[in-house]
Amino acid sequence: MITRMPLIAVTLRGVLGRRRTWLMILLASLPVLVALLIRAGGGQPNATTILDTLLIRTVMPLLALVFGTAALGSELEDGTAIYLMVKPIPRWHILLAKMAVAASLTIALVFPVTVLTGLITDGRDALSLAEILGYALVVSAGGAAYACAFVALSAFTGRALILGLGYVLLWEGVLSGLLEGTRFLSIRQASLGLAAQVTGNVTTPPALDLATSAAILVAVVAGAILLGSMRLSRFEIRGSDG
Amino acid sequence: MTTDRTVAGSPAELAAPGASIVVDHVSRWYGNVVAVNDISFSLSAGVTGLLGPNGAGKTTLLHLISGLLRPSAGGVTVAGVPAWRHPAMYRHVGLVPEREAVHGYLTAREFVLLNARLQGVVNAEAATQRVIATVELQDAADRPINTYSKGMRQRAKVAGALVHDPAVLLLDEPFNGMDPRQRLHMMGLLRGMAAAGRTILFSSHILEEVERMADSVLVIHAGRLAASGDFRSIRRLMTDRPHTFTIRSSDDRRLAAALLADPAVFGAELGDGKLSVRTADFEGFGRALPRLARVAGISLFEITPTDESLESVFSYLVRR
Amino acid sequence: MTEPTNTQPKLASSAGGSIYDLGYQGYQGRRLARRDVLVSLYGQTLRACYGIGRGARAKIVPFTLAGLALIPAIIAIGIAAIIAQAGPAGSRFDSISPIRYHTYASAIAVFVMLFCAAQAPELFGRDQRFGVLPLYFSRGLPRMDYAVARIGGLVGGLLLMVLVPQALLFIGRLLTAADPGTGWRLESPNLLPILLQGLLTVLLLGGIAAVIASHTPRRAYATAAIIALFIVPPVIVELVTQTGRTGLGRYLVLLSPGDILEHTNGALFRAFADGPDVLGRDLPDVAYFVAVSAIIVLTFGLTIRRYWRIAV
Repeated sequence: MITRMPLIAVTLRGVLGRRRTWLMILLASLPVLVALLIRAGGGQPNATTILDTLLIRTVMPLLALVFGTAALGSELEDGTAIYLMVKPIPRWHILLAKMAVAASLTIALVFPVTVLTGLITDGRDALSLAEILGYALVVSAGGAAYACAFVALSAFTGRALILGLGYVLLWEGVLSGLLEGTRFLSIRQASLGLAAQVTGNVTTPPALDLATSAAILVAVVAGAILLGSMRLSRFEIRGSDG
Repeated sequence: MTTDRTVAGSPAELAAPGASIVVDHVSRWYGNVVAVNDISFSLSAGVTGLLGPNGAGKTTLLHLISGLLRPSAGGVTVAGVPAWRHPAMYRHVGLVPEREAVHGYLTAREFVLLNARLQGVVNAEAATQRVIATVELQDAADRPINTYSKGMRQRAKVAGALVHDPAVLLLDEPFNGMDPRQRLHMMGLLRGMAAAGRTILFSSHILEEVERMADSVLVIHAGRLAASGDFRSIRRLMTDRPHTFTIRSSDDRRLAAALLADPAVFGAELGDGKLSVRTADFEGFGRALPRLARVAGISLFEITPTDESLESVFSYLVRR
Repeated sequence: MTEPTNTQPKLASSAGGSIYDLGYQGYQGRRLARRDVLVSLYGQTLRACYGIGRGARAKIVPFTLAGLALIPAIIAIGIAAIIAQAGPAGSRFDSISPIRYHTYASAIAVFVMLFCAAQAPELFGRDQRFGVLPLYFSRGLPRMDYAVARIGGLVGGLLLMVLVPQALLFIGRLLTAADPGTGWRLESPNLLPILLQGLLTVLLLGGIAAVIASHTPRRAYATAAIIALFIVPPVIVELVTQTGRTGLGRYLVLLSPGDILEHTNGALFRAFADGPDVLGRDLPDVAYFVAVSAIIVLTFGLTIRRYWRIAV
């Protein structure tokens, strides 16, 4: 990995453009702000609700989407990826480096936010510290899975951002809620399943069990690495009408 | 030439027998559009110019050679390794693409350093320093590339491609945007590298550059290889097109009459102070002219082949 | 615009060279009015909304989303046709069908939002990214006209996407009614709310998308920002209001485009078409309309200002 540091460094610099970084920090801090808002208004924020709806369903996939598509996609789109391709580096190394950056950035934002939100919301159904940390790990795992999936997606198409949005909003938001049999095709459901394990909440319909959820996340990451590497090793420069 | 070597495979090893670039019946099509049509050639040490009008397929061919495009048919071998899907090949290859933007937020030094590190160059900082001095970017090396002029950007790209001392150098329209002094400097640099045993292939549609720099040319037109080799030899081969000579002599009119009697001569034209003669047989004419002039008692002052330029060769080839 | 001058070259020749008369002349004919220019740019924007005039790839996303918006209408017509055959007993099914006019807007809201996020950056960002704005502004096209035409094109494209399915639904239900008279009587009150709500939806969402896309030429930033502004506020509002009647929560609704549209939708259908009174309302209806108008004016104004001031 040491020899891949320059790759990681240049990806980090590319992704963390000044404006984008601040916007992502703002987006990530929303759960904390909302929890604070509710407490300031005298209400009792419900930890699991905030974490489930605002974090796992909204903020986490959005962050992973932005970082995931920026890590590889922005370089492919503006053409600077070519300088990474014409190097004696196996393509899957490149892919892994990009995924590492995207996943790490997502986790770096999402983990502390989860912990903070959990600590602030001490109303009904307050979470113990162990539960909060467990939840933070779950969110990190889910965010990493999303990030890897979106990095792989951006190796296939230049429209990864909008396709990823369609997946999150349409597939995970609408369809797999309606069609029970397809729940295992949803990273969100896997994350929610793991989260339910941590908090012990029972929902209807019942969340996916531990084994299934973990398997889904692992499969997503493995599949992303595999498919992304295959695609990247066959990378062809786009014609002028790209 | 340098003490900073790449981790493995120095140019000396590759200058060994065998060509550095072997293009074997390569074609590339996009649906119904054939961008490169059954091209074959092989290159070893020296400078070769890839010449062709815009849209001829020069960039596509360079991308095929640099492993950035998959050949629809045929194969490309660079430094003994197939170009497609063999990233290890890039240790010996430097590419200066035409179109691709560079990371604007990096300085030239950072960009070259990045390239050096990704190539695994031992002592990357020293190599970076050396190559930045070579392209004369020392003063601007610590400003972001998006503040550069076009010529400076070009030089930064070249620096990035040179830092690992590649045996094969591929350049797509490298002199674009360079002022004359930079161009001369770069030409000298490339010629020096070729003399040291490197294989350099550059594309251009500016004939003077190719004429000045290239030992041999590859003329490509509409995806096909129209001609290859030294352009003067190519001119000799164009036998269905008469050569034109411009002659100054003591009596143009009588010389013209004498020449027209010779079967090798197609035509003669008298201009102001000059005689233009068209002939099919370059060699034969060169021997016949002095003989005819002596017999007629005419003194020859100046004989110039007028369409031996790369330009005439080129325009002939692409108009066929 | 300057007067076109007669630039006919003179025929000339000398020993050294000649100039040939190619018949090249300045244009002396009629020139179209400013309005025509605006209309043609509007038309081009409208076509670009759906990727018409570019390759097949550009059409995938907009047509898919527009198609998805159509599906509920088609399904509803199918159901209505079956119900109509069932005769009078079927009218009870009618009232519990989930695909009704006043729920249609929220059903396709997510498609409209995705459409905005996908296409607005194309319409507003491409010209800036490729630096072609000087080409527009150095012609006789005032900057204001450019901005208006672009916004108009986006709004028009969105309007098509929102109204065509509902029109289809309307016609379908008309045709499957017992007889034209009762059909018209039953369905026509819904026309006005459909139109007004559609207009508010596209103006609001389009305006927000336009202001973001025109300030952020990079496509990925713009798309992400637009989507974030659409989907995050409703979640926050829901969370805040769920945990009690906090005073802030009531006003927070006014910052969430999705919620505002829900409320205006309800208000319009209640006013004109006897719609159900299901939404919990903390603020008077007029507050939502004021909020909508304010946001529309603000976003349109900022977009126009952007093009007024952009340095080319």
